[in-house]
Amino acid sequence: MKTYIRSTVTISPQKTFNNPVFLNELTEYTSNRLTCIEPDYSEAIDPKLIRRMSRIIKMSVASALACLKDAEIASPDAIVTGTAYGCLEDTGIFLTNMVQENEEPVTPVAFVQSTHNTIGAQVALLIKCNRYNNTFVSSGASFENALLDAMMLLAENNTTNVLVGGMDEITDMSHIVLSRMGLYKRQPVSNLNLFNTNSKGTINGEGVAFFLLENTPSENDLACIDGAATFYKPEDIEGIKQHISAFLITQHINYNDINLLIIGNNGDAKNDEIYERLRQSVFNEIPSINYKHLCGEYPTSTAFATWLGANVIKNNNTPASLNNNYSPKTQINKVLIYNHYQNIYHSLILMSSC
Amino acid sequence: MDKLIVDLKEQIAVQLKLKNIKPEDIGDDEPLFGAGLGLDSLDVLELIVLLKQKYKLRVTNPEDGLKVFKSVRTMAEFITANGVQNT
Repeated sequence: MKTYIRSTVTISPQKTFNNPVFLNELTEYTSNRLTCIEPDYSEAIDPKLIRRMSRIIKMSVASALACLKDAEIASPDAIVTGTAYGCLEDTGIFLTNMVQENEEPVTPVAFVQSTHNTIGAQVALLIKCNRYNNTFVSSGASFENALLDAMMLLAENNTTNVLVGGMDEITDMSHIVLSRMGLYKRQPVSNLNLFNTNSKGTINGEGVAFFLLENTPSENDLACIDGAATFYKPEDIEGIKQHISAFLITQHINYNDINLLIIGNNGDAKNDEIYERLRQSVFNEIPSINYKHLCGEYPTSTAFATWLGANVIKNNNTPASLNNNYSPKTQINKVLIYNHYQNIYHSLILMSSC
Repeated sequence: MDKLIVDLKEQIAVQLKLKNIKPEDIGDDEPLFGAGLGLDSLDVLELIVLLKQKYKLRVTNPEDGLKVFKSVRTMAEFITANGVQNT
C-alpha cells in the first residue's frame, strides 16, 4: 500500500535543518567522524525542558516537532521510531556514574532517559499524544522496521497519519569502541573524497530524520513510499539479487522502471564490493547516487537516504552539489534505496512520485 | 553555613543542569519547587543523590524531604544538623 510523505525533516552533518534549499552546498569534514550540525534549540523546545535532554533527544525532538509543524498536524495517530543505539550518551553517563559510585544510587535522569524509547516518549509527552507509540531496536534494520510498522498501521482503517523517525548518535566513547573494532578509516579522509580512497574502513556518522506519513494523497506530498523490505545475512551475491528481484516483483515493477538508485556505498573496499557487483549486474542500467559521504555510516542511515529520496523526487533532480552528472530525461517516478549494514542487515525502500 | 550555601547552589546548578540560572541568582530562602525555582519530582531524586554523593546523607523519611528540600538554606541546615561541616 502506498503511503504519502506529507513532510520530512532531518538534522544531519549537512546543513539540512531549517534550510529551504535542498543540499545547495556540502559540508566537508577531514576526519573519520561526521557530527550533526545542530540548530539553536531555544526556538524549537521550551528552555525549561532542554536542560535534561541529551544531544540525540534534542535533535530528535526538534526534528519531530518541525516535521509535524510542516505537515500542519498537532498530534499524529501514531509515533514510531527506529534506533540502534538509542540514547547512548545518557547510557554512558549512568554506567560511568554507577562504576564511580561503587554501585550506590546514581543520578536518575540519565538512567530514565537512557532507554531507547525515550525519544518517542518525549515527543509524545510534548505534544500530549497518548496514542500508539512504538520503538524498534534492531541494529541496521531499526528504521526499516519502524517504517514497515508505520505502513502497516496506515493500511489499517483507524490510522490516517503516522510520525516515523530514525535516529542514532555518536558519542566519544562509542567512537573509540567502534574504532577499535576496525570499522573506521585510520587516516583522516575528506568525506567528499570518500569513494576514491579504496581502503579499509568507513567514516562514522549520525543523524535524525522524521517523516509524517499519511494514507491518503494531498497536494502537498513530497513523494510516496511504495514498499520496504529487509533481509538478513544473505548467503552470497546471488542471494542478494534474488531478494531484490523478489521485492521488485511484489512491487509489480522491473529494473527498467527504476529511474534512480540511492545506494549505501560507505568507502570501505570490502563493504562496497557488494554494491559494485550489483552495479555491474542487476543495477547495470540504472543511474545511482551515493549518500554516506553526506551523513557517514550508522545503523539508521537509511532514514537520511529516505529524506534524500523524497527531496530528489520533489525536485525531480539530484542536487548539483553531489556532482553526480545525473540529469533525468523524464520525471523521476521511481527511486530505489538499497543499503546493507555490515553485510548483515540489507534493506530496500521503493519510493515514487505522487 | 554561608560557604555551605554557596557550595550547595553551585552543586544544585550542576546536578540539575540549570544552564540559564547562575548559582548566585538562587535565593537562600527561595522555594526550590513550585513558584520558586520551578523544580519537579525528578529533580527531588537528583537532590537526594546529591546529598548522598557529596555529603553521605540519606533522606529516608518522605516527611523530612518536604522540609529538607524547601530551599537551599533548609538543605544546608539539614546537612549541618547531621554533623557535616562542608565538603
